Amino acid sequence: MHLALFTLGRLGSAIPVLIGVTVVVFLSVQLVPGDIALSILGRMATQEQLAALRESMGLDRPLIVQYGRWFAALLQGDIGVSLAQQLPVAQILVPKIWNSLILMAGSLFLVLTIGFGLAVISAPRFRSLTDRIVVALTLVFASLPVFWLGIILLYFLAFKLKLFPISGMYDVVGGGGFWDLIHHLILPASVTAASSIAVVARVTRSRMIDVLNEPYILAAKARGLTRRQIVLRHAVRNSLATFASIGGLQIGYLFGGVVFTEIIFNWPGIGMQLYDAILARDIPMIQGCVLVVAVVFVLGNLMSDVVVRALDPKGS
Amino acid sequence: MTRLGTLLRGSVLAFALTATTPALAETTLVVAVEADFSRMDPAASRTWNTFKVVRHIFEGFVEEDLTKGGDAVPEIVPALATSWEISEDGKSYTFKLREGVTFHDGTPWNAEAAKFNMDRMTNPDFEYFVPTAPGLLSWVFMDLAGYEVVDEYTFRIDLKQPNAEFLRRLSAGGSGAPRMVSPEAVKQFGNDGIEDNPIGTGPFKFVERVVGEKVVITKNEAYWNPDRMPKTDTIVLRGIPEVATRELALMAGEVDIIGTPSPDSIETLQGQGAKIVTGKSPMFYVLWINTKDPHFSDVRVRQAVCMAINREDMAKFQRKGFAVPTWGILNPGGPGYDPAFRDCEYDPEGAKALLAEAGFPDGFETRMDWTFGGGSDVNTKGDAEWLQRDLEKIGIRASIEMFDNNTFWDMMTAGMREGTGLTSASWGESTFAWLDQVVTTTALPQNCCNSGYYENPLMDQLLSEARASATQEELDAKLHEVRDIVAKDMAFTSYYAANSVYATGPTVTGFVLAPQHWIDLTGVAKE
Repeated sequence: MHLALFTLGRLGSAIPVLIGVTVVVFLSVQLVPGDIALSILGRMATQEQLAALRESMGLDRPLIVQYGRWFAALLQGDIGVSLAQQLPVAQILVPKIWNSLILMAGSLFLVLTIGFGLAVISAPRFRSLTDRIVVALTLVFASLPVFWLGIILLYFLAFKLKLFPISGMYDVVGGGGFWDLIHHLILPASVTAASSIAVVARVTRSRMIDVLNEPYILAAKARGLTRRQIVLRHAVRNSLATFASIGGLQIGYLFGGVVFTEIIFNWPGIGMQLYDAILARDIPMIQGCVLVVAVVFVLGNLMSDVVVRALDPKGS
Repeated sequence: MTRLGTLLRGSVLAFALTATTPALAETTLVVAVEADFSRMDPAASRTWNTFKVVRHIFEGFVEEDLTKGGDAVPEIVPALATSWEISEDGKSYTFKLREGVTFHDGTPWNAEAAKFNMDRMTNPDFEYFVPTAPGLLSWVFMDLAGYEVVDEYTFRIDLKQPNAEFLRRLSAGGSGAPRMVSPEAVKQFGNDGIEDNPIGTGPFKFVERVVGEKVVITKNEAYWNPDRMPKTDTIVLRGIPEVATRELALMAGEVDIIGTPSPDSIETLQGQGAKIVTGKSPMFYVLWINTKDPHFSDVRVRQAVCMAINREDMAKFQRKGFAVPTWGILNPGGPGYDPAFRDCEYDPEGAKALLAEAGFPDGFETRMDWTFGGGSDVNTKGDAEWLQRDLEKIGIRASIEMFDNNTFWDMMTAGMREGTGLTSASWGESTFAWLDQVVTTTALPQNCCNSGYYENPLMDQLLSEARASATQEELDAKLHEVRDIVAKDMAFTSYYAANSVYATGPTVTGFVLAPQHWIDLTGVAKE
């Protein structure tokens, strides 16, 4: 009950944030120099043709009117019509969002399992060689730029060793199916996950080290529990809230991060779409993409707040 | 740790095993070009890359024969018209239409279908009119006076004035494409529905499109032209903008043909067994000079710029030989092109003397606004730096500012900004339609793209006369007049024409390049 109320409250406070996001998305695109009508009709168009198109699209109306119309349509799920493709933006974006979510889910899986795994391995062995190696490793992970790591992995694992495909989500010819997807997913998911793994591992590790210094751990030791039992029964459980909180924060971060990964790996998601849309100056499409990333960010944080609340023994 | 390690290793191995993908069907070909495609509806499509798809699904009255490759300007051949008659005054085209042809949905091709499409592209009162078509297609229909169904298989188009390039323009595309869409499909799916149901008469039928991923087309078994019957069953066309990814995908065998590999990668690609196919292209790099700029308003300064550029070396080193040096405003593969023409000779000393004569013995500072380009542009920043070096040698110290392609063309439409002396982009077509966009007074800012404010009404007149020419010789002569005047005024020059460069996998056969911005894939197969 308390949790439900809490969730509702958070949802309520997310609404003004989301409205703010729509204003920013709408205005930021207005700041981009250039003429939408010219983008549509091309260099061969005459001034009269351009003016006629501007009028038919309402581009000659005041900004506030344009925003009002745009927002009203948005509430009905209509993000507009892609200028480059002349298809509804929503129709193009929905499968792309799904593709990006798959990539994000793959990354999140790696972040949570590997991040947590590294923490569990290193924290109980504080300042041992293992611990030092883990710390050094996370430092390296956190420092590698996505585009660099992506190209290096592509070159060695995909091109030289031919373990993985170079690009896309499925084989274009004769592809499809779950395993084909997983095969294509591993490299981009790893690249996206790298720095988040480091963050999750380090934060969870330091929380676990704190837990392991608590008096009740000493008591447990005195009762003759093995290290394995102490870690699994006490340290892990008492670090979970921290882990969930930092892990949840990665949702938004990863979804933003896939933008870069997708371009390197030609993954047909929201990032690739955004890149194409910017190149084609497809304004409604750019707005749609940015909006989706922002919404996933907000919802991801909300979700992690709820999970943390649920896990926190002091919470309810 | 060890257990985790074993688990990880095991799963990687499992993935590697499942990675052995099913054998490629021998008749599927994957082609990767430099950017995703715009719209499939020919009346609304844009970009040269999109026309590479559109021209395989749709046809017009006439077609350019791109199946032979070679350097000659592609021949105009019959397509949905079997023959045509041009009236004495050159203003009326009567097309005999091909009988027995059906669209991919079974709709018959006839004069009514032709009228439906002409209405769709040019008649604002028509139910299925495409509002963007007149703007995109003005280069084709600028002289249109009317059209008429004569009988079931005869269709006439009337022009306000003769247009020597009318057939050539009817066969081209890139900014709209005057190609025939199934009227029944338009009625059934609506204009917007043509995006997902592009139904024409071409050698390939549309199968599916995933925006941002691929377009799949398949052999039209009922195609009327045995000479262009596809040799491959299915072709997948993809846009892969990142050149390194494109090259890796070719080397890994994920794609069979790629457009515009980097000149630096040619040797590596060949080492991996790839075949390099090159051809002439109408695309050349035009240099706009700001005639309103206080330095460049003096024609001697503009001539000095022309003389400062070492075009031969630029083609040889900057493009690794995959280019030919050019001079003047007419492009290779376009009407009136003469490889012997020079608007100036390379002469840095002479250029310096001219600058001194014009009152700039110590040179001056200026700015170059440049674009990263798009499509098959390669390292345009390198071009800018090359020119910067050449100009420095005669005392012109130029800074470079780079812009993305959209912003750049917006700036071109607005006209070159104060302080900018030079700007450049790739252009050039197999028709001279683009010159109307660059040298005429109607193209002065705020219209695109006479961006250096070259104001000479004679250009408008001569180009209109060129269009009205009765013969190719007359047309070429008019264009030579335009070229010579531009050279004398030195408002524009050019530096090189890039070859088209494609790379194919070792087993790909029959891929040729004609001097055009687009390709024909009907003869391509994989052994």
